[in-house]
Amino acid sequence: MGHGSGCTRSHRRANCGLALTEPALVFDGVSYAYEETPREAVSDISFSIATGEWVGMTGPTNAGKSTLCLLAMGLAPHFFGGRLKGSVVAFGRDSRTVPVIERSSEVGLLFQNPFTQISGARERVDDEVAFGPECHGLPRRVVAQRVEDAMRQVGISHLAARHPLDLSGGQLQRLALAGLLAMEPKLLLLDEPTSQLDPAGTAAIFEVLAGLHERGVTIVMVEHRLETLCELCPRIVAMVAGRVLADGPPEDVFNRQVVQERVGLPVFTRLARDAGLPAPWPVRLSDSTAAFRNPVA
Amino acid sequence: MAGGLSLYSEGTSLLHRAHPLTKGVLTLSAVALAFIVPSVGWVLVLAIVLLVLITLAGVLKRLLAVALAIVVPITLLLLAVQGFANPNNRTVVFALGPIVYFREGLAIAALAALRIACLVGATFLFSFTTRPADISEALMQRGLSPRMGYVLQSALQIIPQTLDMAGRIQDAQRARGLETEGSLPRRARAYLPLMLPLVLSSLVATQERAMALEVRGFGLRVKRLSRYEFVDTTAQRMLRWVMALAVPGAIAARIAGWR
Repeated sequence: MGHGSGCTRSHRRANCGLALTEPALVFDGVSYAYEETPREAVSDISFSIATGEWVGMTGPTNAGKSTLCLLAMGLAPHFFGGRLKGSVVAFGRDSRTVPVIERSSEVGLLFQNPFTQISGARERVDDEVAFGPECHGLPRRVVAQRVEDAMRQVGISHLAARHPLDLSGGQLQRLALAGLLAMEPKLLLLDEPTSQLDPAGTAAIFEVLAGLHERGVTIVMVEHRLETLCELCPRIVAMVAGRVLADGPPEDVFNRQVVQERVGLPVFTRLARDAGLPAPWPVRLSDSTAAFRNPVA
Repeated sequence: MAGGLSLYSEGTSLLHRAHPLTKGVLTLSAVALAFIVPSVGWVLVLAIVLLVLITLAGVLKRLLAVALAIVVPITLLLLAVQGFANPNNRTVVFALGPIVYFREGLAIAALAALRIACLVGATFLFSFTTRPADISEALMQRGLSPRMGYVLQSALQIIPQTLDMAGRIQDAQRARGLETEGSLPRRARAYLPLMLPLVLSSLVATQERAMALEVRGFGLRVKRLSRYEFVDTTAQRMLRWVMALAVPGAIAARIAGWR
């Protein structure tokens, strides 16, 4: 899938991101079960995400991807209760000790359903985008600038005067993202950010995310479209049944048999495998083209 | 999807630009005064002032379209009931056989109709020139807690949101073969399969929205600033005081014998 970004994945990895040093998010031996649920939604999760990284998370339904986002935001256990073992630390602060509203100044979470992400109290799209920055007590001038920038970034400036409930699903998803971007979080947790967007809208949003990544924003993105993940994310975490199945560069993750069997594999990888090309199989369009041109190499 | 319940009409008139609290006080005072002043003459003066303001706000046409639909039927009913059947009727205006119409009833009906016209006119003038969100925003800037402001703002959005959700559920149930039209018993049977998912969806949406509000920092203990700054002038403040004091003044005058 082409994303129209001026910065390709390899280019981004080499020159665009910030130096990957301080961890933005650390899961250390994390197991979590929702209240009154005997089974753990995630079990024994340990990994670290450095500041400036763009990590893609994938896996089948009930793999625990959304739960990890809720844990990273602090909503689990602050909002949901439940039993948490281990520690979730974002920017050096344990989620147990930081209320969600405080964490919202540096961590942003985009939910799957954009309808419930909007405040439900604003009558204009631009007012809706301003909701978060206003809650954070930012000066009027700063709020206005952030609202303008966020709407422009996601391509909804022309909808500024519309009522949020008059928007389509895709427009609403852009609005939800704009509301998040206006808060300028250092860590973005995106739970299927383009599920309701058309291909053009999807490409535009990924271009925005690429821009944010270039500016050093850490991104954790849950996504089912494996080709998209491979193109965008230098690192993939594949999950199954609440556990991390594989964690690493896409070409490593999707060349593992267990991942292919339980999570799936990008179409380019499948093509190369089924065509009988030697492993490791390519995971991106560009690599796939090269592999088919020069199959022996 | 359905929009909000706002009747706001975009404009740049003096009334559109006035502070929401000024417009709120003007509306409440105008409505109160319309029912306090003793005679048709005074109510007529109030009605003329409102008409001038409505014209200046540029919403006359739109206001007439909705206001007449409310005021005309009520006026006709009042004229008929009071003119024919008021127990104080004495002076005949006209008689058609056994049907006699009286002046006293006509006067009472005219006064009541004018008062209702003022009530409707003032309320719609306020609604057409003020965004609902601006009222709560202005109140929050005057010290109302953000939580209460949110409740005020979201209250107006709940109805269209619920209607929208109900419509989607109804469509989904129809697609599964549920008959939602036809005889009363049939529609009654369809009620439960519509209500249950609506209530459950609303509960889920409420929980998700509560999370989303926290994620956006709602409830942070900081001085919250709205990106809107409502212009409040000395003249507006004085006008608010005058209008607010006019109400108890008129009541006192009525008690003192103003007729």
